[in-house]
Amino acid sequence: MTIAGVVLGVAIGVVLLLWVVHLIRGDRLYVGYGVIFVLGTLAAMTVLIVPPLLDAVTRTSVALLSVPALSIVPLVIFTFLMVYVFAQITILSNRVMRLTQELAMRSARRDGELESPAAEQP
Amino acid sequence: MVAIPAYNEAATIRAVVDRVRAELPDCDVLVINDGSDDDTAAVLAGSGAVVADHLCNLGYGRAIQTAVLYATRGGYDRLITLDADGQHDPAQVRPLLAEFDQGRWDILIGSRYVARQKYDDVPIGRRVGMQLFSTLVRLTAGRRIYDTTSGLKIMGRQTFAPLTNWQFIDFHAEALVYLMRLGFRIGEFPITVATRSHGQSMYSTLSHVKYPLKTMLMLVLGLVQANLTRKRTS
Repeated sequence: MTIAGVVLGVAIGVVLLLWVVHLIRGDRLYVGYGVIFVLGTLAAMTVLIVPPLLDAVTRTSVALLSVPALSIVPLVIFTFLMVYVFAQITILSNRVMRLTQELAMRSARRDGELESPAAEQP
Repeated sequence: MVAIPAYNEAATIRAVVDRVRAELPDCDVLVINDGSDDDTAAVLAGSGAVVADHLCNLGYGRAIQTAVLYATRGGYDRLITLDADGQHDPAQVRPLLAEFDQGRWDILIGSRYVARQKYDDVPIGRRVGMQLFSTLVRLTAGRRIYDTTSGLKIMGRQTFAPLTNWQFIDFHAEALVYLMRLGFRIGEFPITVATRSHGQSMYSTLSHVKYPLKTMLMLVLGLVQANLTRKRTS
């Protein structure tokens, strides 16, 4: 891979990392999904930066799958799409979670009778 | 208020609630039934505890968050959390409360390890994890916490807002670092813990890999978040 290619790859990795971290901080990407993306991106960046690793991965991938170098472009797009999809799943999941917590507090009961400070709040 | 998160703890939860009510008759007891499939809710009938039922399992961290939200809305000054598996002896809460009431701490953790300062009675994998998180807390927050995963804690009202304004996994190392960096005082008080006699740990084999990774990431983000919050408020 050319120097320009490595620089571009690392830049894309940094952008992806920053986006994932931003989403996790805002509670818009579940940290369990986030860890996978962070580790995957860091691994990919390490492969790009360390020449012997890059050579080994290139040799292995060419031997296993005869794919053109350009196939990395849809792979990058797919990764970004995956982060977006998982962020949407997390947002939906958070809404369900808040609803579940709110229902639990409003229906909190003592010996079968409704007794809920949550329900008294506006 | 005493909050007890429970997931499939029908075998032990009633005894735990009865012991808490006997030891701490002046405290309200809240059980967060976290989507249990067994009779956890049914066995609490007539126990005198308030039961908040999660319609589905949200996990330990979210169950604690429900308790904190409930305590906030109910105007409680202190929230005591303990495990539903009977490992914590409610008789140990009194001395913990006495220490907390001296006003030196915002959160006081009932700690299995602070007295002897070593993890000699836990399996090797868990021992490495506890050592790692204890060290990470010391490096990032400047004070060592020996038992970052203890379920027995007392939290003061002043910590309720930060605990519900940001997300945590299990209210363990990541929450402790976040709060300590915000300036809250967190201490440990020695307790003893019984061996679990029923049910199983909330940590599966796979979660022994996932949990440290998630916690480490959240710990770093918590550090960043706490620094940003401090800058914003100062």
